[in-house]
Amino acid sequence: MNKIKILIILLSIAVFLTGCAGTRVKQMTNDFIDGQYGGDAETLNLLLVADGTSFSYIGLTLDSLANYNNELEINLLCLAKDIEISPDGLVYTITIRDDLKWSDGSQVTAEDYVYTLNNLMFSDWLNYPYKDSWQEQVDGKAVFVTPKVVDNTTFTITHQTVDPEFVYTIYDLIPYPKYIAVKYEGDVEAFTRAPEFNNLTYTGNLGPYKFKEWIRNDRFVVERNPDYYLGKPVGAPYFDRYEVKLFGNSATMLAALEAGDITMCGIEPEKAAKFDRMKNINVYVLPTSGYTLIGYNHRANGWEGLKKTKVRQAISMSINKDLICKSIYLGLAEPAFSFIPVTSPWYTAESLNKYGIGHLCDKKEAAELFYQAGYGKKKADGSIEIRDENGKPLKLVLVTTTGGGLAEDIAFLVKQELGSIGVDVELKLVPWETLVRKYLMNKVPGTNQTLGQNNGPDAVSDEPWDMVLMAFSTDVMAPSGSGVFFTTNGGLNFFGYSNARIDELFEEVKTKEALDEGVRRKTYGEISRILSEEQPVDFLVFRLGVVGFQSNVRGVEPGISMGYNSYLWYFE
Amino acid sequence: MIHMGKSWLKYYIIKRLIYAIVIAWGIVSITFILVRIGPGSPADKYLANMSVKGQDVAQITAAIEARYGLDKPLWEQYANYMVNLFQGDWGWSFSTSMPVIDLIKTHWIYSFQLILLSTIFAAILGILIGVYSAVKKYSKIDYAATFLSFLGISIPNFWLGVMLILLFSVQLGWFKTYYDTTLPLFSWENLKALILPVITLGTGMLAGYVRYTRSAMLDNLNKGFVTTARAKGLPERTVIGKHVFRNALLPLFTIIMFDLGSIVFGGAYLTEIIFGIPGLGQISFKAIFADDYPVVVAVTLIGTFLVLIINLITDIAYTYLDPRIRYD
Repeated sequence: MNKIKILIILLSIAVFLTGCAGTRVKQMTNDFIDGQYGGDAETLNLLLVADGTSFSYIGLTLDSLANYNNELEINLLCLAKDIEISPDGLVYTITIRDDLKWSDGSQVTAEDYVYTLNNLMFSDWLNYPYKDSWQEQVDGKAVFVTPKVVDNTTFTITHQTVDPEFVYTIYDLIPYPKYIAVKYEGDVEAFTRAPEFNNLTYTGNLGPYKFKEWIRNDRFVVERNPDYYLGKPVGAPYFDRYEVKLFGNSATMLAALEAGDITMCGIEPEKAAKFDRMKNINVYVLPTSGYTLIGYNHRANGWEGLKKTKVRQAISMSINKDLICKSIYLGLAEPAFSFIPVTSPWYTAESLNKYGIGHLCDKKEAAELFYQAGYGKKKADGSIEIRDENGKPLKLVLVTTTGGGLAEDIAFLVKQELGSIGVDVELKLVPWETLVRKYLMNKVPGTNQTLGQNNGPDAVSDEPWDMVLMAFSTDVMAPSGSGVFFTTNGGLNFFGYSNARIDELFEEVKTKEALDEGVRRKTYGEISRILSEEQPVDFLVFRLGVVGFQSNVRGVEPGISMGYNSYLWYFE
Repeated sequence: MIHMGKSWLKYYIIKRLIYAIVIAWGIVSITFILVRIGPGSPADKYLANMSVKGQDVAQITAAIEARYGLDKPLWEQYANYMVNLFQGDWGWSFSTSMPVIDLIKTHWIYSFQLILLSTIFAAILGILIGVYSAVKKYSKIDYAATFLSFLGISIPNFWLGVMLILLFSVQLGWFKTYYDTTLPLFSWENLKALILPVITLGTGMLAGYVRYTRSAMLDNLNKGFVTTARAKGLPERTVIGKHVFRNALLPLFTIIMFDLGSIVFGGAYLTEIIFGIPGLGQISFKAIFADDYPVVVAVTLIGTFLVLIINLITDIAYTYLDPRIRYD
């Protein structure tokens, strides 16, 4: 009797599982599922956003004035025509389309844009994080630019000083509806919690999709917006729903791509070849503006030798960038020699000192440079032993974040490379928060200074370090933003590097003369040359992005701005 | 009879609840202070993004901290938080931009269903196997159960979950590769979607229950009352079921209840991560790293209460499972 019961139970389980197998049919829907791995967005309230994921969510429902295509040409969105710049480079005239609507049916006007700038972004009460993008230095003081309504669809923004790259800031502008925002003006708490802004209920026809729901740490869902102003002839976009599905780990995200449960996702370098062989997946390799670097500590708590150019050159010369590209990125990275990527219109290759490849990747020569700088002794056979100022074997501390597989791999490779010339590298793998607070942020000892990323030449971090391995990226159209790393007073110059000529050049790209693109290119060329020669940091590699799509997705244009036309993507 | 015999119970419960409030207040205060005096700032994670645009980091950090009142003195932040809490306002989660209470209301069910089903799955199977193993001590089935228990304890959840997905979702196509939150809660589809997560989380628990049950049963099988029961001629099924198992149940019950209590404290965190289940485990861990103190404190508070209440229920249940136990 008992055996019969057990048999019945087993049979029931078998029938249930078989049933499961039978019901596993892929839904034939027009839903696009974008798999992402990592953190969720913080907010949909645009002016409170400080993270990339939030921007990407909002971007599905709200267009900016313009974006770029893969050739980095301007692609007009809410603009009726390109921004006009006065000959003196001070006045920008912006003309928006006349068919832009808020959700209540009212027209989006120039007044909405100017209100957003004057009453929200420039206000004291809101604490807009990116305020300083809209400020300029006049007589030593930071002042805001001056927006002014001209007519229903036209407004101007006036600068007092020339900034050739300011136009790129304007292209990113997205307005708030004045008719809603006035209700919350002056009250940061009410504005932060405003349901209209947190649920994107006002977006009208301003984006290809309309907000549907957001389950934190799970998915963000938007629905096709049939009224989208760019989709008038056909009722764009194609997909009924666009869902961002968040995964806690890349293994399950890639399994979901393989099984066809999601439409696209990023792929790690080591998995790229496997997915490339799959018939149901199209894999695209994309250039990015993200780079990995080793920063040398020029501050008082770094090894004294790192203040000497020859020593930095020697270290950079010892680290083989081709080896990093091949063995760690499996070919999905390219050696870097500047913060400006090859894809940027401001990249110039001619004058760069390409440390880490070719004849500038030479361990013998590296040892010779250490010797010339006073940190080595020659043996009878002519070989050089690298020594610190006390004649002891040189030991350097390299700090990076833990948990990032590639960063750890690179750190170990650097240890190995420097070990081969006799420099011992102690690796410190720490959490991101520890890296920022204990190693990067600094203050002048014995003062009441608040910790900051660059508190002047005398400031030092809590923990001593010599090299830091980090990943940054550059705005390909406006690389002058990277001045925060390399100028003496740069907000993110935690390395403590200082070069008066570099400071001048970063100023020069913001002058009237630099309105001439030839002049600007030359200036960026000179900045890159000096940095590549002085090696305040060793730019290691520019990473390539790898993305996998289900093979029935059409309309994708792989490139540095791959998603610029995502509303035109469709299923075959 | 039971009611008459437990007249002290009401006072006992009131006393324990007062303790619970004091303990919860203490834990909330400690958690609040620890989270707020930590070196992190909610702005830290935006450092990389700021650098792309060449922003003034100090300004952005100050702006973000001022927006959420983190620039005020610690005592003022604490006083504001406690006053709001007593007024029923659990605060605003600045890492997810929604009221903390709504965040918890949305997400608790995902953890609850997973942990509840895993516990039921593990408890039923674990107890059955454990009892059988003890009764058939040193048999082939006992050795097999012991081996499988150690295997279950040794296999990391993370690895097992990924393997199950690769086999049953990717290769066989029986299940979706991730948990789908659009499914109705009380539906077969939802139950089916939870099969792999429940097996993943339940396997480790099951192995533990098998070992505990077997050990507790063996302890009791050699006791005098068992010999007496057998000598009286009671059927073996009655001896095992009514006498041995009931005595063995007490420690097991404690363990099962504490497993249930891990709903809030991230007991299912890894399983949630693997299967994309947006439960409280994920929410609270991410809140910790985002320095989102309103969420961290709220989750701690709820977790503390839950553990204290479960502890109370367990203690009361003891008195029913073993009438010799009294707390008066």
